[in-house]
Amino acid sequence: MSEQIIKRPALPKKPFNPTPLWLSGWLALIWLIIVDLELSFETLLYGVQDIFEYFSRYSRPNFENISRYVELLGQTLATALWGSTLAIVVAVLLAPFAARNLSPNAVTYRIARELLNFMRAMPDLLLALIFVAALGLGPLPGALALGVHTAGFLGKFFAESLERVDSGIYEAVTATGASRVQLVMYAGWPSIQREALGYMLYIFDRNVRMAAVLGLVGAGGIGLALHDTLRMFNYDQSAALIVVILVTILSIDYLSTWLRGKLN
Amino acid sequence: MSNSKLCWPTPNGRPGLVPTLVLLVSSLLLAISAPAVELDLGRIVSAVPRMLAFAGNLLVLPDGEYLPTLIKNILQTIEMTFLATSIALVISLPLGVLAAKNTSPHPAVFHATRNLLSLMRALPELVWALVFVSAVGLGPLPGIMALSFVTVGFMGKFFAESIEVVDQRQVEGVVAQGASWLQLRTFAHFPQAFPDFVGTVMYVLDHNLRAAAILGLVGAGGIGYDLVMAMRMFDYDRLLPIALSIYIVVTLLDRASDHFRMRMI
Amino acid sequence: MATIIIKDIVKRYDYGFEALKGVSAEIAAGSFTVILGPSGAGKSTLLRTINGLETPTAGTIQIGEQTVTQDNLREVRSQVGMVFQHFNLVDRLSVMTNVLTGRLSHRSWLGSLLYLFRRTDLDLAHDALIRVGLTDKAWNRADRLSGGQQQRVGIARALAQQPRVILADEPVASLDPVASEEIMGLLREICTRDGITVVVNLHQVELAKRFADRIIGLNDGLVVYDGPASGLDRATLSRIYSRNGDQVDEQLETMLAYA
Repeated sequence: MSEQIIKRPALPKKPFNPTPLWLSGWLALIWLIIVDLELSFETLLYGVQDIFEYFSRYSRPNFENISRYVELLGQTLATALWGSTLAIVVAVLLAPFAARNLSPNAVTYRIARELLNFMRAMPDLLLALIFVAALGLGPLPGALALGVHTAGFLGKFFAESLERVDSGIYEAVTATGASRVQLVMYAGWPSIQREALGYMLYIFDRNVRMAAVLGLVGAGGIGLALHDTLRMFNYDQSAALIVVILVTILSIDYLSTWLRGKLN
Repeated sequence: MSNSKLCWPTPNGRPGLVPTLVLLVSSLLLAISAPAVELDLGRIVSAVPRMLAFAGNLLVLPDGEYLPTLIKNILQTIEMTFLATSIALVISLPLGVLAAKNTSPHPAVFHATRNLLSLMRALPELVWALVFVSAVGLGPLPGIMALSFVTVGFMGKFFAESIEVVDQRQVEGVVAQGASWLQLRTFAHFPQAFPDFVGTVMYVLDHNLRAAAILGLVGAGGIGYDLVMAMRMFDYDRLLPIALSIYIVVTLLDRASDHFRMRMI
Repeated sequence: MATIIIKDIVKRYDYGFEALKGVSAEIAAGSFTVILGPSGAGKSTLLRTINGLETPTAGTIQIGEQTVTQDNLREVRSQVGMVFQHFNLVDRLSVMTNVLTGRLSHRSWLGSLLYLFRRTDLDLAHDALIRVGLTDKAWNRADRLSGGQQQRVGIARALAQQPRVILADEPVASLDPVASEEIMGLLREICTRDGITVVVNLHQVELAKRFADRIIGLNDGLVVYDGPASGLDRATLSRIYSRNGDQVDEQLETMLAYA
């Protein structure tokens, strides 16, 4: 056998790996923020020491006002339901305009998109503050605020789903001579039915959580009661309220997870 | 045949059972809950002039002296968001591994972590902010604590879900090399789930920015406090700049995250 | 370099299907063995029990002096390289990192957390890439390569382990004829030059005949032929490929004609 001279081909030049750079930049930024916010670890440690004692104050929930809590809870759920319904109606109307492939022209597309963005960018508590100023105290401004804010979310989700639908489906329905509305009704919505239902459940879930704190700005529900009891350092009743809210939210969470599982 | 009767595309021409039921039940629920939200169309209509007047009031020259404070507080809001998300990220990664069916060391651990995570995200940030404010006092610290706490609940769950959908074949390729438990996670699961992780972080940043903007409502730092005060004191010359700057920052982050997610795939 | 002793392996799945019904074979160190059989015969299951990806219901596997148990899986796998039908590379990692995963069983947990390797590992991976002729692709992402190239990375990954045995589960089933030829040649060369025991699952009779030292024919979970490639005559083939005992269907006729 002839002698083999194996020339070892060198590896090509290793491309630059930016990960360490990103990582150190990230750490530096965090350090800067800690300095800027004047967060001291001593305070934190001090606080952590106390926090167990503090939480132990919540260990005796007092349920004597339970009937009132249930009533407030009902109001909270109703607020979330109406808010979500409003959001669904608005989103269903706006989404086709905000989907690139269904919007009549570029201008309506941009307008619908920006409108949805604006609704999304306004935090719902800020909207609630404004609506409370205009409508007075009560759950109604809360429901409106939730509706406007989450319509922005749902509209965006719907529009993106509508854009993801296989273009062949749209072409096939267009080829029958269908109008734009018919296109949306017979090719758009049916194709994203499941996804859309999933989003709706998710939004309702989220609105229940938010409705529970709307009371802080006077927009009804169980949040105000919690705010008041916490302000008065009434730990026993606060604990009871937290338990009630927690149980409700968790059960709705499980219910919607189960429903979404059924949908798939 | 233009005069023939209208009918639905079902075997008997009547609307289907499921859609009818869904429609009935939801209308019923809405009707029952209408009194609870004190629904009153008249009230909404009568509020329209007030809304318009309010909108008119907003159009005043901004309070120039307030602008430096505004910038400082907006910056604080952003810093809180970033810090809380970073803290939550570091805690969520290991929790996500424990809460994913395919990477959890034991079914008991899987269920325990899953339940812990859903407990953590059950209550909104504001409730925790209330609690933490009364525990450690006013300022951004309780806000950051509240944000991180709830974010772990969400991020851990999202991470776990991304890990659960990784391609099992790629994992097996590394298993066959005799990789250890931890090595499998770092070399097979993480690289595959990475784009999803980035998406999740961007989404959470987005959410946390919005949440941080209102935490000031309960004294937990950020721009929210100024917002509420301006609202209560009818300082219209501050209200518009505050609302506008929140809108701008949120929109910028939104665009940035869309852009980032596109690039990541 | 290591003999594989397969003894009375039975594999019954939880849903009741019995994939292996008592398979025994002794595979000589440094040999090139092809396991042949129709799909569903249990080829894959048999191969996967060798490095413990499947746990047999009964029977034992011995590699060299070591019996495979639940407790020494990592040790066994570090000595057994595996090549897969669908390559099973981690798509988003570079070719180099994929090959380096072959060194994982020698690395500590902390280093792996930070993606750190030793210089010697890098050299081994480099050598492995030279063997498969892919040095120029070292820093590309694995999913950017063609199927044949990905399979070569898969082989490099197995080589980087410095294994005593390489198992290849349908390594050419997802490849075109030219790439198939390349991959089989590469495996054969590794067996001959490095003395590594190679066991390959195939369903192409023609490839098996050309490359194998020895062929084990599997049908319905049982060994129906065990001998040299030259012993593969028509009768044997119809025994390997028959379904439900004696029936030889039309498709089989065509296939045998091709063989």
